[in-house]
Amino acid sequence: MPTKQPNKNGGPILGRIAPDEFVGRRDALARVVGLASNGTPERGLLLLGAPSVGVSELLRQAYDELFREQGETIPIYFALTRNDQTAVNAARHFLQTFLLQLVAFRRQDALLTDASLSIPDLLELAAPVDYEWVEHLVEMTERARADEDARSFIRLCLSAPQRATASGARPFILLDGLELAEQLNGVDVPLGTEITRAMMHSGGPYVLAGLRRHLLDVIHTARNGNDSAASIRLDRLTDEDSRTMVEHLARRNGVTLNDQTRDLIVQQTSGNPFYLTSIIRAAREKNIALTSFRNCQQLYVDELLGGRISRHFASILEEVAPLSAVRRSLIRVLYESAENEQGRAPIETWRKRLNLEAGQLQTIIRKLHVYELASLNANFIEAGSGSLVWSDYLRARYRLEVEATPRALVVADMLAETLKRAPHTMARHYRREAALGLRELLERFNCQRMPASLFHYDRFSRTHKGMEADELVAALDAETDLVRLPQIVHAASCAAFHPPIQQVCDDERCAVAHGFDAGQYSDANEIVWLVAEIESKLEAGRGVTEIWCDRLMQVARFCGFNRVRLWLVAPEGFSIDASELLNEREVYGSSRQQLELLTARINEASAAMARQEVAPDEFEMVIPMGDDTELIAAHTVEQIARRISFQPDAINQIKTALIEACINATEHSLSPDRKIYQRFRVESDRLVVTVSSRGIIPPGLNNQNGVNNNGSEAGESNKGRRGWGLKLIRSLMDEVEFEHVDDGTRLRMTKYLKKQL
Amino acid sequence: MAESVTLSPVHSRSIGDLAVIYAGDYLNKLSGERIERECRRQLEAGCRALVINFRETELVNSIGVSILLGVIDAVETTGARLIFSDVNQQTVQLFEMLGLTRHVALAKDEQEALATLAEFAPIPKAVGH
Repeated sequence: MPTKQPNKNGGPILGRIAPDEFVGRRDALARVVGLASNGTPERGLLLLGAPSVGVSELLRQAYDELFREQGETIPIYFALTRNDQTAVNAARHFLQTFLLQLVAFRRQDALLTDASLSIPDLLELAAPVDYEWVEHLVEMTERARADEDARSFIRLCLSAPQRATASGARPFILLDGLELAEQLNGVDVPLGTEITRAMMHSGGPYVLAGLRRHLLDVIHTARNGNDSAASIRLDRLTDEDSRTMVEHLARRNGVTLNDQTRDLIVQQTSGNPFYLTSIIRAAREKNIALTSFRNCQQLYVDELLGGRISRHFASILEEVAPLSAVRRSLIRVLYESAENEQGRAPIETWRKRLNLEAGQLQTIIRKLHVYELASLNANFIEAGSGSLVWSDYLRARYRLEVEATPRALVVADMLAETLKRAPHTMARHYRREAALGLRELLERFNCQRMPASLFHYDRFSRTHKGMEADELVAALDAETDLVRLPQIVHAASCAAFHPPIQQVCDDERCAVAHGFDAGQYSDANEIVWLVAEIESKLEAGRGVTEIWCDRLMQVARFCGFNRVRLWLVAPEGFSIDASELLNEREVYGSSRQQLELLTARINEASAAMARQEVAPDEFEMVIPMGDDTELIAAHTVEQIARRISFQPDAINQIKTALIEACINATEHSLSPDRKIYQRFRVESDRLVVTVSSRGIIPPGLNNQNGVNNNGSEAGESNKGRRGWGLKLIRSLMDEVEFEHVDDGTRLRMTKYLKKQL
Repeated sequence: MAESVTLSPVHSRSIGDLAVIYAGDYLNKLSGERIERECRRQLEAGCRALVINFRETELVNSIGVSILLGVIDAVETTGARLIFSDVNQQTVQLFEMLGLTRHVALAKDEQEALATLAEFAPIPKAVGH
């Protein structure tokens, strides 16, 4: 079996896998390694990981890369472990590791990182440049130990990075497993806080890594809320990365597998690196070829009941509830809570069922929360982690310990269940892969204007169906009835709001998106889109459409949403009856084709926006408000318009429109800086003028979006004689749109060289 | 022809009970209000017909237009007559867009405006002639 061979030519040093096999974390790795650079503004980084997602390996890979570079920065990787048992041991271990890796780096000897050397040994090996401070530190720690002054001893050991920095070295501490610190307390010093403070005061770069739900609390305490370090959140690997990882693991371990089993393993474990590694290693140890679902599930059940995965969860449960009686009760409560429909129960119910004091219960719940085996939300505990592996393990433990079911029966049942489940797991995966990505699409809604026919299947079917692609795009371009999308600020699976919906559809096929019409953050503009993808091979009929309309309305009522927009998507669209129903209920309805066209147009709009941001042919100008400065803007735009050969009358129209826009900004915005920001973008066939200002938004402006406020003409009442600016602008320019900005307004006006027909 | 030039920032001239007021190059709030003031002054002085000459006017904004509407109201109230002359094409379009042309007559130039007004009320001969 290939193993790591420490060397400085690219092989792993502390890493457990070769750099080229480290998948899915390239960006995070670059960010961590980048911290070593002197020019980086950040000094500290928090690496917030979900359990077992590969945080440790990321740090080890970073260590290896920095070691191989042999630059100015000296990488030091240290992981807290339960083996240290006490804070004093952990601190001594830290100092020993620090000195060992310092010596290894100075000597450019990667093998030394694996050596078993005592602190006196390391003092002997210390480079001359380090010797003095190391000797001094070792002496002081010995003195503190002799005095049995644990607090001083701990602080001295942890001061090694600061002392190294003070002597001119540049250590980069990669500290892992910070969530274990609180288990290692033994003196009246909270180890996690001490470590965190020591790293922050070290003067050099550092990364603190641990379970995400715990780490932020530790940092907050250490800094008294003065957080300044950046953070990276490591979530699960993508399916593709997980597949690659399994392939690498199998190859390295000499395990045979095929595409089907590879995908099953990935889906069943949600691509968790720890579970994947455990299963492949078990296959190697038992010499099992993973070429059938049967073999995979046998191995999986073995892992759950007696393998690494079993030991992993068992150790967590022992840590959470050290007393076996409490642990047994906890397993019962966890399992039964997870099984109930809502998947949650009040804390009080837990307290009664576990028969614990409030403090004990709090400790248990907190640990479950940190390990993400349960979530504490207000007064409710949500059992379960969304992990199938944990659910399976919990069920097995429950049956063995609470129901006292014979082990053989539990094994047999689990094997049968997991085998029966396998095709469903894969089917769900395929459905997910084929899903339209409603949530992702909704997240990209940002006040774009889209052809209304894309939301009305009947209209689309009547006017656009059967067209060639180019023809279709042109027809959509020519549509004048447009739907302005809201700006979506949060999108999630519908099940996250209303779990029972899971019984009728997959998570990714029903989404809830909160947003604001016209991107204006007001009660009146707040809206919730509820979107569902209906399964139907043909055009969806009235019956199923009605059921889904009712379902979504039920979710809206359950969640207390005030203004909602329902949108149903059926692959082949909707029957005439169903379309009538949709129109009656003012529900949007689209086919897959419409959704794809919508997605393409949103992509195009985003790309256009990105192009605008880097447009080379762009002029910018800032003018103060008042004193007829709009004339300066008007003369400027005249010069620009002349360059692209606009006719004199068009130039005058642009000038007048710009003057009106400036006047609007001056009159209505209560601008704090009294400035008008203008951009003139020249394109081959048009001039785009953007006028923005800070301050308040004139009432009703965004609902009108380019239409004048009062629509009045001369001769009407005196009150109607102002507020013509927008009407004028709209008459003079070809396209006028207010774009969303957080503060103030931004008006975009476009004039075409030849007006579009 | 007797005429007097006012000391107002707005250039104007009186011909009997008729006045010609000259708008500046940019008709905005400030210059619009000056024109309005001058028009009211002329009307209070007994003027029965006004010509606003836009020959210098390159740009007009909507606030300027709204002030012109105030002038039109004021002239109508006193029973006087009002003509805009020398309005460039772009400003004509603007006036049309905002419905101003429904309430005021336009003349190609000052001469035409004066001639039009003369048809209804002959311009008195200047004193001394």
